[in-house]
Amino acid sequence: MASFDLTVKYAGEGGEGVISSGDFTMRAAARMGYEVVTFKSFPAEIKGGYALSQVRMSDEKILSQGDGFDVLVAFNGEAYEVNKPLLREGTVLIWDGPEGGDFEPEFEELEKMGVILYAVPMSQLAKKEVGAYITKNVIAVASTFEILGMPIEYLKEEIVNKFSKKGQDVIDLNFKAIEVAQKYVRENIKKIDPYKVPGPLPKKDVIIVEGNEAIALGAAVAGCKVYAAYPITPATTIGNYLAPIILKTGGYVYQAEDEISSMAIVIGASFAGVKAMTATSGPGISLMQELIGLASMTETPCVVVDVQRGGPSTGMPTKHDQADLFAAALGGHGDDQRIVIAPTNVEENFYLTIEAFNLSERYQVPVLLLTDASLSLRAEAIPTPNIKEIQSKLIERPVIRKGDVSPEEIEHIFRYQITDTGISPFFVPGESPKPYTATGLEHGENSYPRTTPKERTEMMDKRFRKMKNIEDENPHLVEWDLGDLREGEKADIAVITWGLTASIAKEAIQRLRNKGIKVAALYPKLLYPLPSKAIEKVASMADIVLVPEANYLGHLARFIRMFSNVPPEKIVQYNIYRGEPFIPKEIEEKVEELLGKKVEA
Amino acid sequence: MDIQYVRLEEKLPPKEYKSDLEPTWCPGCGDFGVVTALTRAFSEEKLDPTALSLVSGIGCSSRLPLWMNAFGLHSCHGRAIPAAVGVRLAKPEIPTIVTAGDGDLFSIGMEHFPHAARKNFDMVVISMDNRMYALTKNQVSPTSRTGYKGSLTPYGNLDNPFNVLEFSIACGATFVAQTYAGNPKHMTEIIEAAIEHKGFAFINILSPCPTYNKIDTFKFYKGRLIDINKELGHDPSDKNKAMELASHALDSDWDPNAKVPIGIFYKTEDVPTFEEKVEALKEKYKPENPETVWDEILAQYKL
Repeated sequence: MASFDLTVKYAGEGGEGVISSGDFTMRAAARMGYEVVTFKSFPAEIKGGYALSQVRMSDEKILSQGDGFDVLVAFNGEAYEVNKPLLREGTVLIWDGPEGGDFEPEFEELEKMGVILYAVPMSQLAKKEVGAYITKNVIAVASTFEILGMPIEYLKEEIVNKFSKKGQDVIDLNFKAIEVAQKYVRENIKKIDPYKVPGPLPKKDVIIVEGNEAIALGAAVAGCKVYAAYPITPATTIGNYLAPIILKTGGYVYQAEDEISSMAIVIGASFAGVKAMTATSGPGISLMQELIGLASMTETPCVVVDVQRGGPSTGMPTKHDQADLFAAALGGHGDDQRIVIAPTNVEENFYLTIEAFNLSERYQVPVLLLTDASLSLRAEAIPTPNIKEIQSKLIERPVIRKGDVSPEEIEHIFRYQITDTGISPFFVPGESPKPYTATGLEHGENSYPRTTPKERTEMMDKRFRKMKNIEDENPHLVEWDLGDLREGEKADIAVITWGLTASIAKEAIQRLRNKGIKVAALYPKLLYPLPSKAIEKVASMADIVLVPEANYLGHLARFIRMFSNVPPEKIVQYNIYRGEPFIPKEIEEKVEELLGKKVEA
Repeated sequence: MDIQYVRLEEKLPPKEYKSDLEPTWCPGCGDFGVVTALTRAFSEEKLDPTALSLVSGIGCSSRLPLWMNAFGLHSCHGRAIPAAVGVRLAKPEIPTIVTAGDGDLFSIGMEHFPHAARKNFDMVVISMDNRMYALTKNQVSPTSRTGYKGSLTPYGNLDNPFNVLEFSIACGATFVAQTYAGNPKHMTEIIEAAIEHKGFAFINILSPCPTYNKIDTFKFYKGRLIDINKELGHDPSDKNKAMELASHALDSDWDPNAKVPIGIFYKTEDVPTFEEKVEALKEKYKPENPETVWDEILAQYKL
């Protein structure tokens, strides 16, 4: 168990600096050597609406955003009202008061509950003492630092980093806000809470990245040369982050006129021999379906990132959801071939983006990487990756180059050659000796259109042969979490889940094990083709197989019914679709409820 | 940044640009002439079949890459232009020709043309304009005449035909021409000029459908064509005049005495291509030492 585990939540109106307050705190904690995980949520509008930024810090690896928070910094009345039901004994509430704010907490009620209240007149100090309302968030952060004993010089350094381009005046103004906050806290607040951030830990070699940043970095490391995309929340920032990086690695970020063209550009670029990627969300993935089918039919490697958001239709563009698995795997017309993988945390966003390129190059299929709105914004400090080592292991498509083969040999080599593995040689304009036409029409080995029953069957079989052994050939795409159990040993319950929910379930499962409950868990990163062997194995260890997912239909649970031999009566779906991720406690309680019921029965 | 196409040292005979497949088009289709003109132009331009890409969408004319000995990408309906943009971004040294139809380019794929044109991608976009949909057995297209009877408009087309020449000049295409499938020599010259042009070159080829379209036929065009450059002395650098000429391109639909203009309407070399601008950016931001580029990138993410 971690000896230090603290969660600070800033909440207020969008545009008031709530998000940057969280970022300042997260970066300072990471500088002190702590593990950090953030959780942010804001409305789709640019200004206004409820926004939150939560920072969890610990001396041990953090799996999820946690169950709640220890310290709430409420910028306004709405933030207070929304979070009031979550306050509990020992929670610290730092609020905009006693004067100048737009609300007053119910003192008696809260004090009875054991909530610790500190009034910091953020708005008033910003207006009157600093002379700039815009510094309200810096006052809030500096007060929080002072109360929690976090080194204020780290905040100052962050201010300098963030505002150095805006000039010394802006830095001075924010430094003044810090002084005002420190002075106010020292003179007016008597600390009675137990929360204190201990001293700095030894410095670690880490980088701090957000989910979407990790994807951008992964793409550049994997050698992506063409990135084409159309602006859409919450996928847009992948391109924002990638644009300056990819120029240094010899590529280009192209803003296309829509998602359909983005996908066509990716296919055109890959046809021409370079690695290419697009990223989209929600409606974008619907628009790309026809062209993903073309990539499948023409066996053109490409990577499609789908940052899932609340749907259907426009849905909730900034909110968490895991309801695109069906669309990602089966959204096209006809029987096509795709691979779908999903990372569970920020670090995996980086490594699985590289994996997505490797899989697409190896199997010559479109690979869809499913993340989500919450993961896209989550920041983590991850060990600095060893780029040289990663790049030495990249997989490249088998291009036949001029000079590789004799003119006689090339007569017998075809772009869609039928092979045991289904994988054929690749031809590239400007590099290969033999042209061909990639076509979405059914075709023979030489790419000429064909519709005879025999050839059609042979080519379908060839393409699907590539999909047959993906699970066996990529065991690293399934994460086993058995605790002290051995494979096959009897467990009280099996849990299978994916994406961000897997990282949350992991924390719940650790707690359940601490209570003596035997949990066998599996977190497939490979979702399609479904790794049914591993799923069947873990399911065989228990009578109940719980599948928590943030979607209504239970996409993975239904995939398990569809593509594996797990007895359907064992599968228990657990679905939320409220636009926020699970919290570990929910999964913990669900397991206890299921096991309790079983005992009663 | 000067980007040069890959070219052969010696000319290949035109037939070397044909694949072993025989076109599945109906006898008498105008598109046969386009194949002939393309092979001649490729031969003259010394293009290398192994370093040449033909990109198309869906429709009768979009099958063209299959009949050719060159790299082809027969993509989805309407998506030839963005697929070609992908090739341009990946391999700007590979000449890229879009071979499409009027429905593919100007109906289902309409959102792509203006953007590729205004950005001035260095590609040749050929519309084989039969003024209707043929592969789906006779429906009206954006270029169909008013009153044209298609299977979904048996009472006659209510729309006015779309003037693709005016449109392409307005979009910012830096080379706009019209030619005729019945005149292989003119077609070849225009295609050659378009390949040599650095920038977005649009060629509308009047290519009659003998099976369904009984109005816009070879017979109709016979004697009605006028070469705006040779016969009218039009200077393609004159944009105003180009627009004026283009605005009359469809007059023959209702005026029996009107001529159908062919030739180069507009051409300017003053606009840099998108590919040149991208290469310049890549050059500008190229790391001094590629060995340490990742150390520099990762440093931004460290504390």
